[in-house]
Amino acid sequence: MTSGAAIRYRTGSALRALAPYLAAIVAAFVVAGVVIAMLGHDPFVAFRSVLTTSFATSFGLVETFTKWVPLTLMALAFAIPLGAGRFNIGGEGQLILGATAATAIGITLSGLPMPLLLPLGLIAGVLGGGVWAGIAAWLMSRFHINEILSTVLLNFVSFQLLDYIASQVWPDVGAGFPATVKVGAGAMLPTVGRPALHIGVFITAAVVVIGAILMRRSAPGFELRAVGINERAAKVHGIRTARIAVGAVIVGGMAAGLAGAIEVAGVHGNLLEGIQSNYLLLGIIIGLIARGSVALVPFVAFGISILEIGASAMQRTAQVPAELVLIVEGLILLFLLLSDVLATRWQRSGRKRPPRPATARQATGRAHAGPDSITAMEAQP
Amino acid sequence: MSELTNFLALVVTAMVPYVFASQGTMLSGRAGVFNVSQEGMLTLGAAVGFLVSLKVGSNAAGIIAAGLVGALFGLVLAAVTTYLRLDQFVVGLALFFLALGAASLLYRVVIGVTMSPPLIPLLQKWRIPLLADIPVVGPVLFHQDPMVYLALIGSAALWWFLFRTDAGMRLRSVGENPKAADSLGINVASTRLWTGIVGSALMAIAGAYLPMVYSGTYTDGMAAGRGWLAIALTFFGGWRPQFIVAGAAFFAGMEVLALRSQVAGIGIPHQFVAMLPYVATLLVMIFAFRWARVPAFLGRNYDRESRLVG
Repeated sequence: MTSGAAIRYRTGSALRALAPYLAAIVAAFVVAGVVIAMLGHDPFVAFRSVLTTSFATSFGLVETFTKWVPLTLMALAFAIPLGAGRFNIGGEGQLILGATAATAIGITLSGLPMPLLLPLGLIAGVLGGGVWAGIAAWLMSRFHINEILSTVLLNFVSFQLLDYIASQVWPDVGAGFPATVKVGAGAMLPTVGRPALHIGVFITAAVVVIGAILMRRSAPGFELRAVGINERAAKVHGIRTARIAVGAVIVGGMAAGLAGAIEVAGVHGNLLEGIQSNYLLLGIIIGLIARGSVALVPFVAFGISILEIGASAMQRTAQVPAELVLIVEGLILLFLLLSDVLATRWQRSGRKRPPRPATARQATGRAHAGPDSITAMEAQP
Repeated sequence: MSELTNFLALVVTAMVPYVFASQGTMLSGRAGVFNVSQEGMLTLGAAVGFLVSLKVGSNAAGIIAAGLVGALFGLVLAAVTTYLRLDQFVVGLALFFLALGAASLLYRVVIGVTMSPPLIPLLQKWRIPLLADIPVVGPVLFHQDPMVYLALIGSAALWWFLFRTDAGMRLRSVGENPKAADSLGINVASTRLWTGIVGSALMAIAGAYLPMVYSGTYTDGMAAGRGWLAIALTFFGGWRPQFIVAGAAFFAGMEVLALRSQVAGIGIPHQFVAMLPYVATLLVMIFAFRWARVPAFLGRNYDRESRLVG
């Protein structure tokens, strides 16, 4: 990104920064409202339950925060590699491996006291996710295999692994679907308040704060952003770009692994089929809406949590299918992209994008920052 | 029918979605538009294909409708990346989400939640006279449903078009060096548009085939990664139609093998056999990425006024 645009971006009023978001959200809701009306329901009744369920009761608020945890971590799993121009579409598999590792510790060492067992489980989860992402990172650096494909394919491998662990290794025979037995009591996250909120929320908040500071203030964070903005220039200036990219993918995997471990330790108490929910898609959407910025992720994730919790309520109260919410989220992203382009078109007069290196490696669908691209905003962590 | 013939016949059927989806990826990629919404296109194609077939009572109508919906998504992708120069990968992902949501929503709205989902008839097999009587080859290649013939003939036609005609060469030049193509009077924008549209339509048709040959109904997630595998297959096939067909045979072989050994129950847990197609793809890509001749301008957007691009 050229300096002029960066300065404009920083000095622009908060309102101007928020304007594309508001426009995108309003446009997406208008489209959704038309669809809801066409289905023969009242869009305003539907919207009211979507937007207010999270705040109507303390239960709704706890539910929203509980959902916010995996969404934030999964968005980080996507956003951190995106900062280095790499696409991690394997958060699902990394979450499953993290959950599996945490469950394995929680079951095999179930006798240990909580102060020992809980951190062990969480660390195992982080490592599990990191190792799973590490496979893709290794294939990427050693064999130049596009990480989009390798991470996605590893997702499908992880589904089978989960099925195997949950139905063959530690099966809970009474569950009626693939699920393991429960982990030891010491492996569960403590809760606060009533209705109970597990402290994974605070762990996640800490991860976000530390992550945002590291991205903005540390040398690796700087190098990572440099690689994302212009890999060739970063290389010329002595940044070991391959190592940074590998590190970014692995750190992303660790975030997803932590999400898996927290889902086990805070929500389910065991490993079960479908534990990954649709967090991968939501994580990617959040990461892209937040323009890859670690600092923005938690806020976008909170908004999406509200939508997700509200969607199931909308299905109950207004009989509008909850599937609609995925369309709304996709539309928000698409309209945000469009409003970005329109905004830059208006601001810019004749200034053109910087050149981009023409190697086949980058041609495989990798987004590189040009002023037109949403990833151009990665410069602001 | 012998065990081998039976196996090969199943492989040929399983090839069809890979061939359609992968040729679609290849065609738009050859003009520089890299579509990563395959998985969504397949899923939406399956939903539309199933629902239209059910309501109209004709599988052909379902396939055509799926193709049209896919074309619409392709138009959006090609138009916003060509004219507004939005990032192809990000738009592709957004369309992927939209398609997944739309597929599940359509099914929910039209069918609702039922214990016994309605079924559509599976595609009829067409027997090619004389040829179908050849041992092994006959039942495998000439006693199949019409989509199999369409996939194979279409791939041959695509090869001939891309590598034996002027129009095909012009198309490829857009994906290699749009600046040069533009200077020779080739319409870069319209080439990217129509290949994007046709490519997405082919992906949706690949999806529509799934309920018509396997389950007879639509379920969420029925694409089961075939869309992502199709992208891998396109690289594996070196972005050339003939090798894509060969690669599809390999991918389909893996898929059928995994299914069959699950049923047959060999010594190892079936989950590990089910991993086979994905692990094999990862291994294969180690070699594929070395030899794939990727279109030089793949995934990038052309700005004719820039002096630097191309």
